[in-house]
Amino acid sequence: MTSLYIHIPFCKKKCNYCDFVSYAGKEELIDDYVEALVEEIKTPSVLTLFGLLPLVKGEKKRGGLKTIYFGGGTPTLLSSQHFEKILCSIPYALSSEITIEANPGTADKAKLKELRQLGINRLSIGAQTFNDNHLKTLGRIHNSKQIHQAVEDARSAGFDNINLDLIFTLPGQTLKEWENDLKIAIDLNPNHLSTYNLMIESGTPFFDQKISLSEELDAEMYEFTIDFLKGKGYKHYEISNFAKPGCECQHNLNYWKNGNYLGVGAGAHSHINGKRWANPDSVEAYINTPTSFLPLSKGENAESALADEARGGQRETLFLGLRLLAGLPVEQFAGFEPEVAELLQDGLLTRENNHYQLSERGLFLANLVFEKFV
Amino acid sequence: MNIRNFSIIAHIDHGKSTLADRLLEFTGTIEKRKMREQVLDTMDLERERGITIKAQAIRMEYQGYVLNLIDTPGHVDFSYEVSRSLAACEGALLLIDASQGVEAQTLANAHLALQNHLTIIPVINKIDLPNADPDMVLNELKNIFGIEKEEVVLASAKEGIGIAEILKAIIDRVPPPKGSENAPLKALIFDSHYDVYRGVIAYIRIVDGILKTGFKIKMMGTQAEYEALEIGTLKLGLMPKDILSAGEVGYLISGVKNVRECRVGDTLTESKNPAAQALPGYKPIKPMVFCGFYPVNPGDFEHLKDALEKLQLNDAALTFEPETSVALGFGFRCGFLGLLHLEIVQERLEREYGLELVATAPNVIYRIIKKNKTEILIDNPASFPNPAEIESIEEPYLKLTVFVPSEFVGKIMELADDKRGDFKGMEYLDPVRAMLTYEIPLSEIISEFHDLMKSASRGYASMDYEQIGYKSSDLIKLDILLNQEIVDALSVILHREKAYYRGKLLVEKLKEVLPRHQFEIPIQAAIGSKVVARETKPALRKNVLQKCYGGDITRKRKLLEKQKAGKKRMKRIGRVDVPQEAFLAVLRLGQ
Repeated sequence: MTSLYIHIPFCKKKCNYCDFVSYAGKEELIDDYVEALVEEIKTPSVLTLFGLLPLVKGEKKRGGLKTIYFGGGTPTLLSSQHFEKILCSIPYALSSEITIEANPGTADKAKLKELRQLGINRLSIGAQTFNDNHLKTLGRIHNSKQIHQAVEDARSAGFDNINLDLIFTLPGQTLKEWENDLKIAIDLNPNHLSTYNLMIESGTPFFDQKISLSEELDAEMYEFTIDFLKGKGYKHYEISNFAKPGCECQHNLNYWKNGNYLGVGAGAHSHINGKRWANPDSVEAYINTPTSFLPLSKGENAESALADEARGGQRETLFLGLRLLAGLPVEQFAGFEPEVAELLQDGLLTRENNHYQLSERGLFLANLVFEKFV
Repeated sequence: MNIRNFSIIAHIDHGKSTLADRLLEFTGTIEKRKMREQVLDTMDLERERGITIKAQAIRMEYQGYVLNLIDTPGHVDFSYEVSRSLAACEGALLLIDASQGVEAQTLANAHLALQNHLTIIPVINKIDLPNADPDMVLNELKNIFGIEKEEVVLASAKEGIGIAEILKAIIDRVPPPKGSENAPLKALIFDSHYDVYRGVIAYIRIVDGILKTGFKIKMMGTQAEYEALEIGTLKLGLMPKDILSAGEVGYLISGVKNVRECRVGDTLTESKNPAAQALPGYKPIKPMVFCGFYPVNPGDFEHLKDALEKLQLNDAALTFEPETSVALGFGFRCGFLGLLHLEIVQERLEREYGLELVATAPNVIYRIIKKNKTEILIDNPASFPNPAEIESIEEPYLKLTVFVPSEFVGKIMELADDKRGDFKGMEYLDPVRAMLTYEIPLSEIISEFHDLMKSASRGYASMDYEQIGYKSSDLIKLDILLNQEIVDALSVILHREKAYYRGKLLVEKLKEVLPRHQFEIPIQAAIGSKVVARETKPALRKNVLQKCYGGDITRKRKLLEKQKAGKKRMKRIGRVDVPQEAFLAVLRLGQ
C-alpha cells in the first residue's frame, strides 16, 4: 500500500455545486475529529496496511507511504498543530509526495510556511475561476485577487509544486472568459493544472435551480484547453490533468492505475486488492467510532482478506487506466477483443507503442469507451 | 301481461346511472343500505369513466307489474349494442339534463328508439340544480321531436324527485309485450358476458314462445346448437327459473365458452320447432379501428397474448393477431369498435394484467384498388402497397352531427374543415343552438377530434356519428426514417395535404426525444422516396466523467453501468438506439 488519503470534511461555507462530504458550521468538531483520525490511523489493521506489520505471514515489513493527500472539504481550516498531530502518526518517507488542498480564502503566508515545514510539499489551490462574478455564482468564499496572493504566498513559503484547480462551463460563462481564465492561470506558472467541466449534481443548489449547460460550449472549451495548454508546455496526461514534465500528481496516478490506497476520515474511500469500502459520511458518527471500517467478514483478518492480489479487477483497471493518455498495454485487454475492435472502428481508441489509448475524439466521448468495460 | 320492458337513453352525463339506481331503490329491488352508486356499472372502469360499457338488465316488481330495465352502453362506439338493447324493449325513457338540453347523443339515441318503434317517455332530469332551465328544454323537445309539455316528466334522480311519476308513466304508456306463447321460440340475444365459472351468460328477451330448462336450442345466425342448462331472471344476481315466456327478459347459460359464439343480435330458437325467420337487425360485429400493441418488455409477449385471450372471452368485438415490427419486435395488431373501445382495452391490459404497452397510432381499414383491378383491404400501414401499383384508395366515412351553441359555430366549422369534413348542413334548434352535419373520414375522428371539439366550444359542443360507407381519398403513407432506415412502427397513412405538417411535427418531436449518438442522425419524414420534412440530431460532442479520483470509484462505475443498461433497454434500429419513450412520445403526438 503506497497511498493514503485523509479527508477533512469541514468548510466555512458550502459551494453551490459541491456534493462532496463536507459540512459548514461544524468547526467546533475539528479537535475531536483530528483525534479520531489519529485513532483510525493507529488501528493495527491500518498499520498492517502501511507496511509496518507484515501483510502475509513471513513477509518482510515494507517501506512507508509514497503519497499522502489531504483533501476536503477545506483542509486549510485546520491549524498547523492539527497537521502535526496527524503527520506524526504516519510512517512516511521523506521523498513522499504530500499534497494538501487549499482554499485561497483560508491560507495565509504564515500557515503555509508552517505546513511546508511539516514536510507537506505539494499545494493544490482551488482557484476554480479568476472571474469574480463567476466566483460569486459558484458560492466561493474568495475573490480572484486572493488566488494571486495565495500563489505568491505559497512560493515564498517554499512550495515549488503547485497545482491550480479550474472549472469551466460555469453558468453564463463564455468561451472568451474561459480562455482568459486559462491565460491568467498560465501567467501564475503552476506546475500542474486540473480542469473540470462543471457537473450539476443532485442535492446541490445548482441542481435545485435546474441549471442546464451547453454540451457544445463544453466541448469547445475542452478543445481549447487541450490545445492551449499543450502550446504552453504542459503535458496532457489524464483526461482532466495537465503537468509540466515530471510534475504529474503521483497520488492521483495511483488511483488511475487502480492501485491500492487507504482513505481515512468521514466519507473516505479505500481500495485494497479489489476490495472497496467507505467510511460513514457523518462526522459525528466517525468521531464516535473512528476505528477501522475494513470490510472483514466474521472471523476474517486483514491479512487474509486483503492479501489476494488477484482481486484487482480487470474491468476497473481498464476503465480507470484509459483515463491516462498513455493508455494501457494491449495484453491487458484480453477478453475484450470485440469491444476494442468496435472502439477502434468508431475511432474512439487508437493503438500506439503496443498500448491502446483514447483517441482525440475518444477524449471527448470517453464514457462511451468506459461503458464497454464496466 | 303485466310486463313492461324499457331502457333509458341519454347523452353521457345526463344522469342515466343515477336514475337507474333510484328506480331500483324505489321499487324495493335493492335495499337502500345495500345501495352503492351506479349499481349497474359493474366494471371499475365504468364507474371511473362514468360510462356504461356493457349492457345490463334488471327485473323490478312494482304494483303488480314486472318492469325490466335494460341498461344500454353510453358511447357511440357501442351503437350497435345500443340498438340491440333497444330492440328488446317496448319503451324508452329519454333522459335530458335540465341545464344542458338536447345533445347530439340524445338525438341519435332518440332516433334509434323511434326506428325500433319504441314508446318514448321524455324525462327532464336534474331540475333541482340552480342552473336548471326546464322551460328551455321543453321548448327544444317541442321543436325537435314535437313532444308536448304534458308528456314530459320533471325529475331529479339525485334528489328522488319524480320517480313515482316515471314508474307510473312506464306502466301506463309503455305497451305490454305483444308476442305469443304458442308460437315457436324466438329470443333476442341483446348482450352476453363471460363468467369464469359458468361460461357465457347470454342476456335474452323472449319475443315469442317459451324457453324451458333443458331445451335444445339453436342460434339462428351461427346455426350452432346448445342446451339450455340454466335459465332465469336477472335481479342483482341470477335468479334461476324453469320457464321464460314471451315478453320476459332473462338469462341463459348453455355451456358456450366464448362470447363470440353467442353473438349480440342473434336469434335463439328451439331446435325441434324452429322459428321460420330470425329477428331483424342482426349484424356481425366488425372492428373499425386498429392499432398494434407491443409489450415494452419483450419477455411479456406471452403474457400479453394470454391477457388478450382472456379479454376476448368477454368482448366479441375485440380482434387480434400476432404481428412483427422491426422497431418494436413481437406484438399484436388489434381491432376495436372505436377509439374508446381501444382505450378501454389498453387500460384494462395495463391495469388488470400489469402490462406495459406501446400502442402504435390507431388507423382504420383502407380499401385500395390496384391498377390490376384487384382490391385489397389493409388495417396496417406496413401492408400499404407500392404507390405505383395503386389506382385509388378509399377510406371509411361517417355522418357527423355536432350540437353547439351558436357562438362556437365558427370554431367548430374551422375544426371540421381542418379535419377534412364536408359540410352538409346547419339547422338551428332554437335561437342559441345549432346542429351541424358533416361527412368526415373516420380516421380524422379517431385521433383527437373529440377533445378539440370540446376545447373549441368550452366544453359545450356534443357529437354523434354513424358510418356511411367508403369514399375515395387522396391518401398516402408517410414513413419516418432514422439515419436512412424506415422505422416501421412510426409509419402512418394519412391525407396527402396533411403529410407535410404531420411529418414536420414527427421529426421535430423525434429530434427532441432521441439521445445524441456518436454520429449525426438525419431524421426524415418521407412519402415514398420524397422527403417532406427533415431534422438532424447533432452528434454527441462530449460525454466524459471529467472528475474521477480515488474517492468514489464505485459511484462512477455505477453511473457508467446505468448508462450502459439504459442503452440495452432501447430498440436498436440500424445504428440508432431509440428509447421506448421516443415511441411513446411520437405515438401520442396528435392523439
